[in-house]
Amino acid sequence: MVMHGIGRREFLRTVGAGACALCAARARAEDAAGDSATEGAKPQAAVHEAMWYDRLADKAVRCRLCPRECTVADVERGYCGVRENQAGEYKTLVYGNLCSINIDPIEKKPLFHYLPGTTALSVATAGCNMECKFCQNWRVSQYRPEQVESIVIPPENLVRAAKTRRAPTLAYTYTEPVVFAEYVHDTAAVGRKEGVGSVMISNGYIREPALRDLCKVLTAVKIDLKAFSEKFYKEQCAAKLAPVLATLEVLKDTGIHTEVVTLIVPTLNDSAEEIAGLAKWLVSHMGPDVPLHFSRFHPLYRVNNLPPTPLETLTRARKISMDAGLRYVYIGNVPFSEGESTYCPSCGKVVIKRVGYNVDASMLRSGGCASCGHKIAGVWSQDDALAFKPKPPKEGKAGG
Amino acid sequence: MTDHGTMKRREFLARAAAVSAAVAGAAVAGRRAPAGETAARLPQSRVVVIRHESLAAEGQGPPVSRVRELLDEAARALGGDAKAADAWARWFKPADRVGVKVNCLGYSTRPAVASALATALGAIGLAPDRTILWDRTSRELRAAGYDVGGAARGPRCFGTDALASRGNGGYTADVLTSGEIGSLFSRIVADETTALASACILKDHNIAGLTCALKNFFGAIHNPNKYHENGCDPFIADACAHPLIRERLRLVVCDATRPQFQGGPSFRPQWQWPYGGLILGTDPVAVDRVALEILSKKRAAAGMPTLDAEKRPVRYLASAEARGLGTANLERIEVMSIGKTWLDVG
Repeated sequence: MVMHGIGRREFLRTVGAGACALCAARARAEDAAGDSATEGAKPQAAVHEAMWYDRLADKAVRCRLCPRECTVADVERGYCGVRENQAGEYKTLVYGNLCSINIDPIEKKPLFHYLPGTTALSVATAGCNMECKFCQNWRVSQYRPEQVESIVIPPENLVRAAKTRRAPTLAYTYTEPVVFAEYVHDTAAVGRKEGVGSVMISNGYIREPALRDLCKVLTAVKIDLKAFSEKFYKEQCAAKLAPVLATLEVLKDTGIHTEVVTLIVPTLNDSAEEIAGLAKWLVSHMGPDVPLHFSRFHPLYRVNNLPPTPLETLTRARKISMDAGLRYVYIGNVPFSEGESTYCPSCGKVVIKRVGYNVDASMLRSGGCASCGHKIAGVWSQDDALAFKPKPPKEGKAGG
Repeated sequence: MTDHGTMKRREFLARAAAVSAAVAGAAVAGRRAPAGETAARLPQSRVVVIRHESLAAEGQGPPVSRVRELLDEAARALGGDAKAADAWARWFKPADRVGVKVNCLGYSTRPAVASALATALGAIGLAPDRTILWDRTSRELRAAGYDVGGAARGPRCFGTDALASRGNGGYTADVLTSGEIGSLFSRIVADETTALASACILKDHNIAGLTCALKNFFGAIHNPNKYHENGCDPFIADACAHPLIRERLRLVVCDATRPQFQGGPSFRPQWQWPYGGLILGTDPVAVDRVALEILSKKRAAAGMPTLDAEKRPVRYLASAEARGLGTANLERIEVMSIGKTWLDVG
C-alpha cells in the first residue's frame, strides 16, 4: 500500500479504533477462511452493494455507472475489475478498500483554483474503467483489488483522519474514483456534515445520473481530458471521447468547480490542430474561466517508445489555448515554469505564485487580484466550497 | 470433419495405431503451419471424444481411478499408441514441471478429472510434486473442491495468489504484451512450469459464447476484465498466443462430463446435461471447435436460439486460427469417438 507523507502506524492511530477493529476482523476472516499467510492469499475485499445498476434476467446485471454499461453475468466482474455480480446482486469490492493514502498539496491534483496552499487527504482503491496505455498509476489502476495491498477505512474514519490532519479536503484520486463511486458518495456526504470538502480527480467516464448524484456531495472536480480525438481514446485508452465531453457539459450545468488536465503525449495528441480544437471546445462549452492544465508525459506502462514531452510542446499548447480564449492555462510536471502561476486576466500581474508545490497566494484578495480587483474564477474559501449546491438539471437534461 | 463414429474399442485401437504417431505430431505442427501452405497439404488436427455413462454421474462424479482408465484410453487414441504411457510421454517428459490449469469460475472442472490427469502423468515417471493443479486463487480452488496444499504424495495445488509474496499478487513483475493485450502473467506459468495442460470445462459463456480450452487461460492473466468486449475477441487468442502459453501448452483435457449449454459461466444445473464425455486434443482451437459443435447441437435440441441469434457468436476461434494456434475449420478436424458418438447430444 502506498502511504506517502503519513506513516502507516500513524495513520492507523489517526483513523482510530474503527479501522483497527476492521483490520483485526479481516485477519480473523482470513483465519476463518483458512488462507494462511504462507499461501499469500489476499483477504476478501470490502463488499458493498453497488448504487447504479439494473437487475436482468437469469441473475445477470447491467452496470449503470459508466458509459460501458457492462452486462455482467453471475460470478463475473465488469470491465473495471472491482464490481462483481454475486448471485444477481451487483457488488463493489472496493468500498473503502484503500490501496493508497497520502497527504498531498491540493496543487498536486492538480487543482489551482481551489483552496490554494492547502492539503488534501488523498485516497484510491484498485481499478479503473479505462486502460490508458500510458497510465502513470497502472500498478494500482490496472489491478484487481485482491492483487494489491489495501486496508479498509469506513467513511466516518477517513473524514475523522482528514480533520485530525487538518486537511480541509478529501481527494479521490490516483486511480479512478468512478469505480469506487459508492465510497466517494458516502464519504463526501459525511465530510460535508463534518466540514470537510471532497474533490474527485477523474477521467470523466461516468454516466450522467451517477455524476449528478456525486455532484450533490462533492465540492470540486478535476477531469482528465486525455485528448480531443476519438481515435486517441479508442486506441490509447480503450474508451470514447464523447462521454467525457458529455461529463464536462454536465459539470458545467451543475455549476461545480471544475478544472481540466490534458497529458500531452508526443506524436499522439500534441498537434496544434488538436490542441486548438480542445481549447475552443472548452471555451464554448465550459467558458473561458475553466482552468486547463497541460502535463508532461513520461514513458510508462505500455508506451515506452516515446520521449518525455518537450517543454516547448507544452509551452506551445499553452499559447494556443490562451489564444483560443482560455484565461487560465497551466503547464504541469515542469518545475520552475512560468506556466505554473496564476496571472490576472485583466492586468496580467501574478495573483498566485507557484514554484513546485510552494504557493504564494498573497496577491489574491477576497478572490480577486490585489492589483486591479479583477475577480479570479475559483473556490477560495472552505465556506464557499461547502456551500456549493448543484443546480438542478435543465428540462430533459438528466439522461438516464 | 472426419467422424469415426462408434467403434468397438479393440477395432478402434487397431485403427488408431495404424494412423500412427505422425498424425498426432502433425496436429501440433499444424498449429504453426505456414500461411501460404495449401489447404490440401495442411495436416489435420485430431480430437478424441471418449464417452461413458459413469462420467455423467452427478455430485462428486466418478472416482479418479475410473476417469483415469478412460483418460488413458483417450490418450492412446489421440497419440495412436498401444500403451497409455507412450501416449502421455509424447506430450510430457519426466523433467517437465506441468501446470494443469483448471477452471474454477462458477461451474468448475471436476477435481476428479484434473486429479486423474495428474496421476496419468505419473505413468511417465513425472514425480507427483512436479505437477501443479492451479487457477487464479486458492480460495476459488477450495470452493471448487480442490485439495489446496495438496495431498502428501499427490500433485501440488494452489492459486496464483499463493505466490503473492514474490510481489504483484503472484503475477510477473512487468507487463507482457501479445497483440491487443497487455497483462501480467501468473508466476505459476512463468516461473513454476515448463509445460501446461488445459483442464477446462465445456460450458456456455454469456459474452464469449463458449468457454473451454482457450478461454481457460484468461485465468493466467491479471486483468481479464479488460478483455471481454467484442466477445473477448481477439483477446482470448492474443492471451493464448503469448509464448508463455503457446509454447508450453501441450494438451487439452476438457471436462465434458456434465456440460452446461446456457447460463454460463456460473453454475446453472437446469442447463447441464449428462453428456458423459472427456475431450482430448493437442490443438486447443480444434478442441474448442468440437466443443462448440456439441454445445450448439445441444442448444438446438433443447429448442434454444443459436449463439449467433443471441448476439454472442464465438468470434475468437477465427482469431486463434489466424494466429496459428490451431484449426477452427471443422472439416479439417478429425474427431474420433470412443463409446457413444460425439454428435449424439441427447
